[in-house]
Amino acid sequence: MSAAAETRVSPGLRTAIRAAGLSGLALIAIAVSLTDVIARAPADAVGRGPPLTPPSAAFPFGTDILGRDVLSETAHALTVTLANSGAALAVALAAGGFAGFLAARLPFRSGFVLRWAMGIFAAIPALLLAVLIVGIGGRDLWAVAAGLAAAPAGFVRAFDRARRLSAAPHAEYARASGIPASTLLKRDLVHEFRDTFLSIAARGLAAVAITLSTVSFFGFGAVPPHRDLGLMIAAARPTYLAAWWTAGFPALVLVLLILCARLAAALEEGERP
Amino acid sequence: MSALVTLDAVSVRARGEAALENFSLAIAPGETVVLLGEPDCGKDEILQLLAGVPLKAEIAGTIRIRDGQAERAARFRGRGLRTAYLAGPYAQPFSPHASVAAQAARVIARKLDAPRPSARAEFGAALERLAGAPPLATFDALPGALGPEMLAWGLFAAAFAGTPDLLLADDPLSRLSPTQARAMAALLQAEQKRLGFALVYAAMSTEVVRWLGGRIVVLRHGKVVEEGPLSRLATAQAHAYTRTLFRAAPSLTLDAEKPRSQSRAEPVLQVHALEWRKNLEPRETVTFELRRGRALAFVGEKGSGRHALMRALLGLERVEAGHVVLDAVDIGILSEGMLMRLRRRVAFVTGSDEALDPRMLLWDTVTEPLRAHLRLPRGVIAESREAALKRVGMAGLKGDVPVAALSPFDRRRLQVARAIVGAPLLAVIDEPFHGLDAFAQSVMRDLLREFRESEGPAFLVITSDVAVAQALAEDAFVFAGGRIVERGSLAGIVKAPKAPQTKRLIEAVRPQETLSPPPSGG
Amino acid sequence: MARFGLGQAGRFVLGLLGMGLIAAAVSALAAPHGHYPAALLARLADVAKLDFGPSTMAGTSAAAELARRLPATLELLGAGFAFALVLGAPLGLALSSGRVLRAAAPLIQIVAAAPVFCAGLVLIYIAVKAFGWRDLSFTGTSLFDAAMSGDAVALGHAFRVLVLPVAIVGGAGAACVNLAIRRALDEAAEQPYRRGLRLMGLPALDIDAFYVAPHVLARILADLGEIARALIAAAVVVESVFGWPGAADLFVKSVALHDWNVVALILVLFAVIALAAELIGNLSAALLTPAERAP
Repeated sequence: MSAAAETRVSPGLRTAIRAAGLSGLALIAIAVSLTDVIARAPADAVGRGPPLTPPSAAFPFGTDILGRDVLSETAHALTVTLANSGAALAVALAAGGFAGFLAARLPFRSGFVLRWAMGIFAAIPALLLAVLIVGIGGRDLWAVAAGLAAAPAGFVRAFDRARRLSAAPHAEYARASGIPASTLLKRDLVHEFRDTFLSIAARGLAAVAITLSTVSFFGFGAVPPHRDLGLMIAAARPTYLAAWWTAGFPALVLVLLILCARLAAALEEGERP
Repeated sequence: MSALVTLDAVSVRARGEAALENFSLAIAPGETVVLLGEPDCGKDEILQLLAGVPLKAEIAGTIRIRDGQAERAARFRGRGLRTAYLAGPYAQPFSPHASVAAQAARVIARKLDAPRPSARAEFGAALERLAGAPPLATFDALPGALGPEMLAWGLFAAAFAGTPDLLLADDPLSRLSPTQARAMAALLQAEQKRLGFALVYAAMSTEVVRWLGGRIVVLRHGKVVEEGPLSRLATAQAHAYTRTLFRAAPSLTLDAEKPRSQSRAEPVLQVHALEWRKNLEPRETVTFELRRGRALAFVGEKGSGRHALMRALLGLERVEAGHVVLDAVDIGILSEGMLMRLRRRVAFVTGSDEALDPRMLLWDTVTEPLRAHLRLPRGVIAESREAALKRVGMAGLKGDVPVAALSPFDRRRLQVARAIVGAPLLAVIDEPFHGLDAFAQSVMRDLLREFRESEGPAFLVITSDVAVAQALAEDAFVFAGGRIVERGSLAGIVKAPKAPQTKRLIEAVRPQETLSPPPSGG
Repeated sequence: MARFGLGQAGRFVLGLLGMGLIAAAVSALAAPHGHYPAALLARLADVAKLDFGPSTMAGTSAAAELARRLPATLELLGAGFAFALVLGAPLGLALSSGRVLRAAAPLIQIVAAAPVFCAGLVLIYIAVKAFGWRDLSFTGTSLFDAAMSGDAVALGHAFRVLVLPVAIVGGAGAACVNLAIRRALDEAAEQPYRRGLRLMGLPALDIDAFYVAPHVLARILADLGEIARALIAAAVVVESVFGWPGAADLFVKSVALHDWNVVALILVLFAVIALAAELIGNLSAALLTPAERAP
């Protein structure tokens, strides 16, 4: 019997995994909304305590080289990361999968040109594309850049799938019995997006969060005092070997955010929604 | 004579359910045994056990080869017995990425413990012995490039080349056209006589039973209903279930009455001097009329031109000359957009498993024609949906089941429900019984007849089986080589066919005839 | 097959043309304000002649600057790809078993959730704290040269310098290889021919060796473009984290310093690697699984 059936996650387990992921994201969202409570200091407030203090009752996440409370900084950075990830996700979905899906409905030649153009950008790794866009447009475009960088791959996948669906036997039978193109489009939108939107969005959130934080790590993203988790980790590079908490806690929170998003997608690793 | 293979009290339990219960069977050398029943009656399990392939199930009972030691059925691997397995082409038994000849040669090499070049030569020799089979070089193509009809020859030759003692046939003739199925059944019997193998044939329909004869074992839900020769099982002496099986499949009536005078309902389709095939010499045109409530069958083998004419009638292909008037509108003058609107009055019921979108839910599939074309209140749509599903016997199913999860029979009925809701003027019924067992065919036939009688659409029936055409239509065009070779009422055509192609089609489904006396020992 | 091959070659050529346009568009950013259209046309002509202009950072030509940095990146990508195959293939096969997958799933999810730079910093921390490795910066001596020199100390240091970057880049590639294998085995498991050939008398091992294995290999090859992109993206991060003076690190620095000629050239290079990998992969996959490419 098939390995496929063995590895496939049962519906009950899939629901439980999704619930765990969504709960995690909900907790993160609550933590973000309570930043003012959790963070005992404004963002980038130096000298709150002695530099490089290990985690203690007074400073649960320790302090960094400038005496900033790592817990406060992490809370502020999480807010910045989450907000910008959301913006990047919206751009990625609109300019990527959704646009690709609609573009497949265009006349053959126009669709072919768009597919070719997006295919070129999809050949460039998303990270390089994001860095390039920020380099050209400025750091203000950081979140949009991450979304635009993720868009080409999503566009190409959605375009190819929409073209395949359009040529499927069931679509031909539907057209032969007078079902209009708008109904077929609605059919595809419902089944390719609505039914799987949560999975697509959650998986997309994980991907753009990784790109965003990496771009910030390179110094192309957030700007102090509104640091994000990637910039916090980059700033802690000179000290983290001696003071692991300066990079450890922000990294842990970042991994938790991405993990919860992946679990909320409730897909097996590598499974496409 | 001692039995070749004996199954003794074999039971198979999978996922908590009994797939086969206390089954015993002794197969004599050279005998033909037909396992007849619906899907899930247990015949798949019997074939797999006899083939010596492990089943992931709890298995009890024993299997013995000749006079040898009885082995536990769960551990039976068929050692000491040359077994060949013959699948149908639609079961896709070959890998799509390697040539048929290469895969057949590998199988034969394994069976005969021979090098692959010799096995390929054996495969070629087996093909040569089959009258009408393509040459060996044809099978150097991929399975997908050959098509099911061609592939069937390759499967047969691969099975015979191993000179088996026991041939396990998993309904290889189903879904082939009746002409080809009948011809291959005759070849199967001829090879059985020549090689002397025992044949265990798993069948869903009773036509094959009539052709092959032998001993018939009727199965239902894993249990034997009864067994015996065709001469008893096809009569009133048989069990009620067996009688229903034999009556269920459409059979040709040779002396049917001609229908009464033509109905005066309005014409749905009027065709005048339509030339639908390009580059045909001499050129051919067709003129006819199809009225509401009437049914016209296009009968012929695959590739004979039936679908080409259907596509021309619906404006799906350009025509060279002539006119098609559908619902009082000449489709030749319409734009594509207007033609699309006109096609709303056309519904399809086909034997293709891909006709429905597998992603859609059951309820959505039924109501889509209403939602797409009319702005109706939800309540009205729901009422139409419920009524249609009730008529096809699917009202008990959950509405949020995806089409992909439905059985082929349920999908077929769903197409009828969708057609009912669409209230079409013209319904294209394309091989509606393809791949269905006898009961399912009977249900589909009744549904389609009731649909036509109550809603009154015209039917355009496309089939290679004259019996199916007779069950659903009054008139027919017979196609061959891209042309219409005969036309008229079905009763008249069946009673006195003129064209040789028509005679062959009728011969393929002529009832109550075996092809040749069964081999001794059957 | 010939038609498919021509189609793939056509896609590759169109991809190169597209990259040339993008390279010219990026390179023309160096033009003064208001002169972009004229600069774009001029750069198009230059790119057509494979002239990418000078590097404003280094003072030499962009090509010379890239040539200086490219070997380190190619070494990293090559070693990473080999590591990806060695790690990814057995991982993919092991995780195809339901039991192994269910046990390993939580760990896999956590590892997959960690960005490459986080993984790099964690590995450096472990190497320093647990193994006492110091000075993981690139020295300029490749592992091959150190091995040839016979100097054990140099060899040990070269190994320590190489192993973590290769492990991280290879790990990113291994993730793609393992996914390709699992998807292929998933697809193959549902194919009717497995049952059909088994019933016809072929042993399961023969079916797996002659029909399933080519399918799995074809899937890895078909995903070669995706694997290349994953390796390149990981190399960008690894070169930054480990101070590896390669072309990927040069890209990031060039963007920061607005050295657009170098940026354009490196973009073209990486895109060509990805497109070439996709072309080779698709053609090889088509030879193994011709039915999937048939019209």
